[in-house]
Amino acid sequence: MLRRVPQPPVNPALRDLEQHDFWAGFAMALAGLILVVCGARHLTAIETVEGGTAWETQLVKAFSSGGLRFPEQLIPAPPPKGNDPAALERWAKQNSQYSAPTWKVRVDAGATTPCPT
Amino acid sequence: MDKSGQKPKEPAVGPPGAPGGCAGCGGEGGQAEGKGLGRKLSRSRPWVQAGFLGLWLAPLGQWLHGIPGCVFHCYSCPLSALACPVGVLANYAALLPVAPEMPCLLLGVLLVVGAASGSLACGWACPFGFLQDLLGKLTPGKITLPAWTGHSRYAVLLGLVILLPLILGYKGIRFDDQAVSICRLCPAGALEAGLPYSVQGLLTGQGWMMSWFKSALLLAFVAAALFIHRPWCRLFCPLGGLLALFNRLSLFQLRFNPKECVQCNLCRSRCSMGVKVDQKVNVSGCIRCLECTTCGAIEPHLATPKS
Repeated sequence: MLRRVPQPPVNPALRDLEQHDFWAGFAMALAGLILVVCGARHLTAIETVEGGTAWETQLVKAFSSGGLRFPEQLIPAPPPKGNDPAALERWAKQNSQYSAPTWKVRVDAGATTPCPT
Repeated sequence: MDKSGQKPKEPAVGPPGAPGGCAGCGGEGGQAEGKGLGRKLSRSRPWVQAGFLGLWLAPLGQWLHGIPGCVFHCYSCPLSALACPVGVLANYAALLPVAPEMPCLLLGVLLVVGAASGSLACGWACPFGFLQDLLGKLTPGKITLPAWTGHSRYAVLLGLVILLPLILGYKGIRFDDQAVSICRLCPAGALEAGLPYSVQGLLTGQGWMMSWFKSALLLAFVAAALFIHRPWCRLFCPLGGLLALFNRLSLFQLRFNPKECVQCNLCRSRCSMGVKVDQKVNVSGCIRCLECTTCGAIEPHLATPKS
């Protein structure tokens, strides 16, 4: 059931008709359309894991699917505790090729983690 | 009596608060109905919302996650078709210290939708708004919040969506690792992603996957939606706040027709968002559900160069 809200007296003749300009809205919509077209063809400065540069659509998709890769994810594991020389040798061999990455972030276009947060 | 013997139509200007004071709504029985276009819009809105829900839940799923949507719908939802614009914006903010990128697609989508229709998407297309509308129908009485509470949406937009991810990003904390973020506090994420995955986890023996905090948040949101009309939209939705900024200059607009106004206050009474429709209607508190057009004095209008 509708509950009426008390309304102060209004003089319809004095009220603002709220007509506003067409061109401001049109110009903003046009600017938005241009941005959408540019965005669809926008190559970002971020590399992909596979090599090459990520499209903006790939970056947006990476946000939603846990597809951002950071260098700290590749930092090798610390050396094994204890004095087992075999384990230490294995660890050294595994990490002999490691060098600190020069990139800051990469896009994994194939990531499909459903809920990164 | 006139010449034809019929009683002339009285100007049905009733005192404020009196029932049946609206000429356009046909007396007491029809006062909640309104007239013409407004009535049709009011009746068709739930169906349009349901149709859009089908669109946002399209099983195309991941294919379109590269494109930000224009409504509040978590991209972690198993059936989401597009990316959540709020989540995308927060991610861009967190990434700024590492890789400054211009969110052309996001800005473009929001500009096109905002400039074309203002917050019309909130009232007619947003799945989370639709859900709150449905929850609100379960209980009759609603707590009325003052209009100024809507400003908190801009605090959420600036604080949680832009500044906090940015600051934590500068501290080297990635968005997914940030303990406090819009995605961790978002009830839409809890409902559309956390709940389905938790139910799936229960069925497959993995247990309840959603944190107790987010589960409690979801319960609190559902309880609030039963007693406050669209609590998320009114108090917290950063996307709604952003789109509503365009209400004053969008191509789709609401106009006041003084010839139709009989001061019946139906427009203001039907507004569940607490907008003072009798004073100004194209304001940032409006979600453009168009319920106020029921009386006929407020008219939906598409601006043209000649108008």
